[in-house]
Amino acid sequence: MSSTSAPLSAPLAARAGRARRLASSPTLSFIVRRLLAAIPVLLGVTFLSFVVMNSLPGDAAQELLGAQATPAEIHQLEIKLGLDKPFLTRYWDWLHQAVIGHLGHSLSSGQSVASILGSDLPVTFELVGFAFVISLALAVPLALVSARKPNGVADRLSMMFSMAGLSIAPYVLALVLVYVFAVKLNVLPAIGWVPPGQSVWQNIRYLILPAVSIGLGLLCFYTRLLRADLLEQMQGEDYVVTARAKGVRPWRVLTRHALRNSLFGLITVVALNLGTLLGFTVVIEDIFGIPGIGHELLQAIDNRDIPVIEGIVFVFAVIVVLCNLAADVLYSVLDPRIRYGRPTE
Amino acid sequence: MLELGGYAGAWPTGLDPATNVNGAADQDQMNSIFGQLFQLSTGGHVTPDLATSATPEKGGTTWRIALRPGLKFSDGTPLDAAAVVSNWKRDLANPCTCKPILPPVKSITAPDSTTVLLSMAAPDGAFQNQLLVANLNWIASPTAIKSMGEQAFKIKPVGAGPFTVVSDTLSNTLALKKNPNYWESGRPYLDSLTFKATADDESALEALQSGGAQAYDGMATPSLVSTYKSHFTTTEQPATSPYDIQLNTAAPPFNNKNARLAIYYATDAAIIDQKLFGNQFQVVQGFTAPGGLFYYPNVPGYPAYDINKAKSLVKSLGGLNVNFFTLASPVNQNFMEALQTLWKGAGINTSIHLYSLAGLIQQFDTKKWQAALQTAGAWDPAAGVGLGFRFLSQSPFSGVHDPKLDALILGGQAQVNPTARDQTYQKAAQYIAQNADGPFLFPLASWNVAVHGVQGPGLTTVIPSVVVNTAPLWQDVSFTQ
Amino acid sequence: MADLPSDLVVAGVAPAADEAAVAKAGGWWRGRLGVTVPAVMVAFIFGLCFIWPIIGPVPPPTGGNILSSSLPAFSPGHFLGTDAVGNDEWSRLLYGGRASLEIALAVQAIGIVLGGLIGAIAGYLGGWRDATIMRVLDVFIAFPGLVLAVAIAQGLGPSELHTIWALSFFSVPASARISRAATLQLREQTFMTAARLSGTSFPRMLLGHIAPNILPQLLTYALLGIGIIMILEGALSFVGLGVPPPAPSWGNMIAQGQSTISANPRFVFLPSAALFITVVSFNLLGEGLRARWGSQ
Repeated sequence: MSSTSAPLSAPLAARAGRARRLASSPTLSFIVRRLLAAIPVLLGVTFLSFVVMNSLPGDAAQELLGAQATPAEIHQLEIKLGLDKPFLTRYWDWLHQAVIGHLGHSLSSGQSVASILGSDLPVTFELVGFAFVISLALAVPLALVSARKPNGVADRLSMMFSMAGLSIAPYVLALVLVYVFAVKLNVLPAIGWVPPGQSVWQNIRYLILPAVSIGLGLLCFYTRLLRADLLEQMQGEDYVVTARAKGVRPWRVLTRHALRNSLFGLITVVALNLGTLLGFTVVIEDIFGIPGIGHELLQAIDNRDIPVIEGIVFVFAVIVVLCNLAADVLYSVLDPRIRYGRPTE
Repeated sequence: MLELGGYAGAWPTGLDPATNVNGAADQDQMNSIFGQLFQLSTGGHVTPDLATSATPEKGGTTWRIALRPGLKFSDGTPLDAAAVVSNWKRDLANPCTCKPILPPVKSITAPDSTTVLLSMAAPDGAFQNQLLVANLNWIASPTAIKSMGEQAFKIKPVGAGPFTVVSDTLSNTLALKKNPNYWESGRPYLDSLTFKATADDESALEALQSGGAQAYDGMATPSLVSTYKSHFTTTEQPATSPYDIQLNTAAPPFNNKNARLAIYYATDAAIIDQKLFGNQFQVVQGFTAPGGLFYYPNVPGYPAYDINKAKSLVKSLGGLNVNFFTLASPVNQNFMEALQTLWKGAGINTSIHLYSLAGLIQQFDTKKWQAALQTAGAWDPAAGVGLGFRFLSQSPFSGVHDPKLDALILGGQAQVNPTARDQTYQKAAQYIAQNADGPFLFPLASWNVAVHGVQGPGLTTVIPSVVVNTAPLWQDVSFTQ
Repeated sequence: MADLPSDLVVAGVAPAADEAAVAKAGGWWRGRLGVTVPAVMVAFIFGLCFIWPIIGPVPPPTGGNILSSSLPAFSPGHFLGTDAVGNDEWSRLLYGGRASLEIALAVQAIGIVLGGLIGAIAGYLGGWRDATIMRVLDVFIAFPGLVLAVAIAQGLGPSELHTIWALSFFSVPASARISRAATLQLREQTFMTAARLSGTSFPRMLLGHIAPNILPQLLTYALLGIGIIMILEGALSFVGLGVPPPAPSWGNMIAQGQSTISANPRFVFLPSAALFITVVSFNLLGEGLRARWGSQ
């Protein structure tokens, strides 16, 4: 990574030169190609969700009117909502509106899908982001301590801990955490959400239990991944051998050289997980009553609120595609010797 | 001051009376924002709130409503007869299950600023009681609807109730604050009130336990009540809707009266009450539970539990296989499994299915469904999801299609004289029993829970539930620490 | 849970890249014991869930007698007690494990067979056909699995079989990616080129040469993924999908028990503990096998 060693005050000419090199570099064309390849994927995802929601029994009109509604009333509402149009027409209508940025309105509440996403996404992002930060912040020291003396006491403990953490279901963890910290010790709230705009302190208090429920698995996963990679670096890499030969102390080699290289690889994996992790939060948001995207998705599915479902699926797919792209780009510019568990594309 | 509404209290479609499908389950929120024309108070009496009286005229085809003079919405516009007329017309024009089932409405007029006249094509003696869970009871500011637009209004509605909306995240959090212009001086006691939706009773109680909330209404899990009894004030609210087993009399096997009788004889409601609920509830034989109007402890001709009769009937039928379904919930599931075991004792084979609401409706649509576990009735059988829903021919969710029963049920609603209503409903209950149209079990009561220091009518005192849960009268709830 | 990252399935446990270090340090639990101990645990769990209900005195997990409901643990004939409707809790635990294990195994088997085949074909053919297949898989990876799971549960009716289908949408693309990557590596090897030049037919190449070589890799990944599938099965139950009650699965037992956890914590504790022990066993076994096969 040239950028990491570039001084902040690099002369403009040098920066421009680097930009030019990047523009003509295989990396940029790679990004463009990947972006183009993402278009059919996004089309496929949105079409698939239309097919899926269309094949379900019951529709929004029925859900909105409730059980007592007469078929005539249901039909009347279907016309009003445009549900009477043929399936492909509805998909086409949705698609060309979506292309110009109009995601439509919720069938049940009438709010615009964009505003629903606008209020739900930040909540889920904050939750997932918090979980990532905690897990990364703890994974690095744990992995370093482990890798310093493989199979030492610290390593064994950390490996046992991370194996246990990987094997516990997030929802079970959530139940345990609520029972211990909310019901018994009474130090953290059991359910609910306070937006940061209202009170940052309360926001964090409400965030801790759900974030830990999601984050523990990540922490353990990252710890094991990072430890394994650090060990590999320390075993075989030339620069490590050179550094050692020069008399640099092993701990310093570990923290200065091996860690730097291993972290890039870890970031790749993080980027890869980020999008898909959003989906993981559905159950946690449900348990903790957090008004995020997962909570919204469950509700929209219950109400057969197709525009909202479409909007969420679309945004979700965009995030996954972008994260995969970011991971691939990172991966392609990395030292090719750094290999993580990612199967080659 | 926080309150946690149950799962049923979600408000996905917003809080506009005309379009909130969940209105009956959102009584807490709706009453707090809009107040009520009439309210059900301690002891089960209908008392005036925004209106002062409702009088039937012309044999019950016309109702005259008198409003409290000088009422104002929280936006400062007057809540007068014209506002009520405009609300009612709008409510009745919307296709929503939240409106009451009335005879055809001929006209709604405002002869003066505090009088509303409703005229119908046929008499409706139960109109005032029907208001209680229906959207006509909540009056929204017509000016606000017009100036905000319907979409914005359903998120941040304006009424003349004890509280006004601060913020509203649909089906998650509704923050309210005191309405300084509320008509009743000194009320409400609380400065602010926040409703939060929870996934279930357990998480609501955990929230109460960890200080995240101070009250919860509609608690329905008996085992949790006994666990938390010592921590909070738990008040059992009189139940009005008994569980019943709906039988499809139009399709095999229950088009045969002997098959229906076998279910009656094989159903031991008392043992389920004892084993699942610790004998807390009152077994009934009719469509109203002790907390409601027209409750009959014993219905003449009701085929009571008799396992031997059930066995011999099943034998004479050459066996009986039943597809039995209900709305998915933990309590319902236990209920179904218990019935399955009991029926097995009589030689009846039961397969159990639990559905979401959509799945449930789909089952009814097939017309081939066999048996379902449901609740029937309400505080007044004419109100809410009641008797007519399960037993009237025209209802898509009825297992019975019998003009004689239709006449009795509709007659019970039409008459103005309470004694005449009572006699007609008694006949209806007897008719159902004699035809073995579907056995009744018992109602599940719900508890309203408050932390110590919080008190108020319907929260720490007893008010019958209109349908399922009792909504406390939030303007009278106070918190002393 | 809506969409499990394929790569989380792939790398459920960190790669055993440190074999040399382990060998040097003589890590006993990564050696022979690292496979034997978890293998015995897994075998024991399978025995309990699949064989003991057949040979032992285990009452059925549903249809219990309402008269013997809510018995405490260590009651005569019900050593873990009974639930609210009189079902034997020990029996529910065994049969629940059976359902959870069946689902996880079936899902991973479908993943190996279907995903393995798709990936191998894509990898072997290469070019535009490879690109097309991978894009289709990308669609499934980018699609929130919850929506599919709901569609399957509500459209076809909830059942154990339909849960398997729903969860296979996670395992097939994941296996396909691994299989493709392994096939790509394999394609460049001499024996493959030799086989190709000698005119071996495509199906024969696939089954005779590619399949046996990529299978160990697929199997290890599948083992590591079993735990995650078992956890996902429970997650589906939490949102009202998955195996429909009253039939037990560990997931739906936890989800149901959760609603009265303060009154009856054991109804959550028992299936949670069983799930945890089983997932740990599979994870250890997968890791142990990967370490052993990886070092060969």
